[in-house]
Amino acid sequence: MRIEVLIAGRGGQGILLLGHILGRAVAKYTNLYILGSEIYAAETRGGDSRVDLVIADREEEADFIKVMGADIAIVMHQLQLDAYSHLIKDGAVVFLDRSNVTSVPQRKWRVFLEPYTDIAEREFGTPRVANMVALGHLVRQTSLVPPEGVEEVIRETVPKDWVDVNIRAFRYFLSR
Amino acid sequence: MRVDYVTGNTAIALGSIAAGLRFYAGYPITPTSDIFEFLARELPKRGGYVVQFEDEIASINAAIGASWACAKSMTATSGPGFSLMVEALSLAVITETPVVVVYVMRTGPSTGVPTRSGQYDVLQATYGFHGGLVVPVLAPATPQEAFDLTVRAFNVSEKLRTPVVLLSDATIAHTYGRVVVREPGEVEVVERAKPSVPPEKYRPYDPGEGLVPPMACFGEGYNVLVESLTHDERGYYAPRSDVQRRLMWRLYRKIVESAPELFDYGAAYLDGCDVALVSYGSTSLSTLVAAKILRSEGYRACSIRLRTLFPVYEEGIRRLLNGVGKVFVVENNVGLYYRELRGVLRGSEVVSVPIIDLDLPQPREVVEVVKQWL
Amino acid sequence: MAVAHPLDRYLRTDRLPTMWCPGCGLGILLGCILRALDRRIREGSLRRENVGFAGGIGCSARMTLYPYFDSAHVIHGRAIPFALGVKIVKPEMKMIVVGGDGDIAAIGGNHILHAIRRNADLVVIMANNMIYGMTGGQQAPTTPRGLYTTTTPYGNPEREINIVKLAAALGANYVARGSVTHTPLLEQMIYKALGKRGLAFVEVLSTCPELFGRHIGFRSPVDLYSELRKRVVVKTRPSVEESDYSWERGFVIGEFVDRDEPGFIEVLQEYTSRARGGAG
Repeated sequence: MRIEVLIAGRGGQGILLLGHILGRAVAKYTNLYILGSEIYAAETRGGDSRVDLVIADREEEADFIKVMGADIAIVMHQLQLDAYSHLIKDGAVVFLDRSNVTSVPQRKWRVFLEPYTDIAEREFGTPRVANMVALGHLVRQTSLVPPEGVEEVIRETVPKDWVDVNIRAFRYFLSR
Repeated sequence: MRVDYVTGNTAIALGSIAAGLRFYAGYPITPTSDIFEFLARELPKRGGYVVQFEDEIASINAAIGASWACAKSMTATSGPGFSLMVEALSLAVITETPVVVVYVMRTGPSTGVPTRSGQYDVLQATYGFHGGLVVPVLAPATPQEAFDLTVRAFNVSEKLRTPVVLLSDATIAHTYGRVVVREPGEVEVVERAKPSVPPEKYRPYDPGEGLVPPMACFGEGYNVLVESLTHDERGYYAPRSDVQRRLMWRLYRKIVESAPELFDYGAAYLDGCDVALVSYGSTSLSTLVAAKILRSEGYRACSIRLRTLFPVYEEGIRRLLNGVGKVFVVENNVGLYYRELRGVLRGSEVVSVPIIDLDLPQPREVVEVVKQWL
Repeated sequence: MAVAHPLDRYLRTDRLPTMWCPGCGLGILLGCILRALDRRIREGSLRRENVGFAGGIGCSARMTLYPYFDSAHVIHGRAIPFALGVKIVKPEMKMIVVGGDGDIAAIGGNHILHAIRRNADLVVIMANNMIYGMTGGQQAPTTPRGLYTTTTPYGNPEREINIVKLAAALGANYVARGSVTHTPLLEQMIYKALGKRGLAFVEVLSTCPELFGRHIGFRSPVDLYSELRKRVVVKTRPSVEESDYSWERGFVIGEFVDRDEPGFIEVLQEYTSRARGGAG
């Protein structure tokens, strides 16, 4: 088993945190091997943010750090969807933030189109936890990692004052 | 023991703690500074010291000094800083000082692209110093290997009383991975041999029956001599050919004759291999995928990842590649380590696949180049 | 082994005679260092096994070859970081760095600068013979302007460094300039330096009759020694402003700075123990 995961969006959307929490949860709370890499533009907000994860059940299959054909993707913005859709393979499970994505390419993907940012603002009072809403959706639909593991990682990663709202955002799709 | 998800750089810092690091001397340089920053937070908690020096020259010399005070010492740098360190590493060679230098390669020459990767300095890592002797060079490709090989680098350094270069690169530095982290006491740790004779009988460069002399430290009453000049077993300057010969051959032999023990590699898809893609460091991830692609296209390709680059274990490499039709040496430079292997594998067909990329060579590109020769 | 001299017990006597030329001032300096150490060891304020030497490259740095202590003869200009590495991990060591003006003020300039800035707990003894001796009489940063050297055959066009001012400005705990022409004073300065925390810096005017004296017209070691003695001005507690370093106006010797700020090592240890407290 070998899975490539692509997480992409604009700087400021919490892409790196999302990728880090997912990667860490896979490393610590599954028996899978994982390699991951991050790309981010020099500017803090607005540029490209991207996390690539290669996950496998055998060590030699966790063999690369860049996505060549993603099996699972979260894309939080139209700009990155346009830029990276060629890296997402047919049959992939793709989670798109409808709040920032207006045009979905005609591909053989299994698309989940949900307004993660709007949900975050409406339900949790801040767009900053849109990443966790999307992560919860991914975890629910793919069963890649146990949700409790992700919550454990959120607790050890996110600043104290933000743990609660992040976990609630993460649970949004899991509890539906 | 615990499982963590960390970068190659953090894995190196964690590995150094597990191996018993007590002194880190550093100078900030991309892409190594997070090793420094991690240790600055963590090492003092364990009684160690982390000090930022005025330049890389001071850092390596301070690390050598601390090692002579019996503290396991390390510094980390990249090309520009390593270039400043080589004079002192030559000192560490002749004074037989255990010290670990983490060399995180970045795009060069000169300032190049400081944040991006490459393998341009693979030969400098061992041939960079004056004096013409070899120091062990270990090359991890993943965060787990970065952790494991850091521990090994310390052990080799202590056992052979030699500087050891841990050769990483900017890609590995920032790659995250699942790492089994062991704490001090959970890994095998080698300590340098101490003298068994009283101080008045101690000769700091007398190897006895073996090739590595026991090492007394400053402050132990042994009146040690750290001598950069050609010296006899007492550490006395002796500008004589017989002394120079004895010293040079011992320093040479203690490393080169350890080659079988130091030899370390990873291999995949070896079954019936006729096309070997040999690589090291981050590029071996590219070749691992390339070999898989070639297999899927019907070629009997395998991937070999060398974790020990120097000393070159010629016998071992020949045995490993015995019977393989073609050997491709894939690296992110103009084809440097290829020169080493070409010499070792005389008689086999050895092809250089130099692919220069600011990040990792794309596996597809490796496949295309290799197929031109098949 | 018959003890021929009271200081022999501090010397690797089997390495004698030294490599220095007849008439060289460095033997006088070594004598002062060993006598000062002897006093410290006898009075119990220093333990012999806790004394270490470090020197770089040059005639002066070769001083590390002879004392019967832990000793390091390392590479050009880098004895200070080596010694600091020892000192950080073994604070009980009293590290004495000996080097020439080239070793410490030229190639090692960056290290002395930052060692002083840190108030690093080292005794740094810079033997200043105003020339590169070992390599054959080339210009040093200490060579007085106008004098002949083999690399400035028309006269040294450069301004000389007054390292006393540098050491004082950067905050060394102890800054003195002595001379091999005034040995009781020099011995006393080194004795005092050995008792200081923080950085103790002693510049020592010395003579190189072969490659400095002869080149500028002093035919014998005695001539040069006498000439230096004439140009040395002894002052009691001179200010840093009075620290003239000049062939014409003279070389002022004396203790310019003597203070007792905490040294780098104790501050580092305090901060390190904070981390340990924080770790619980």
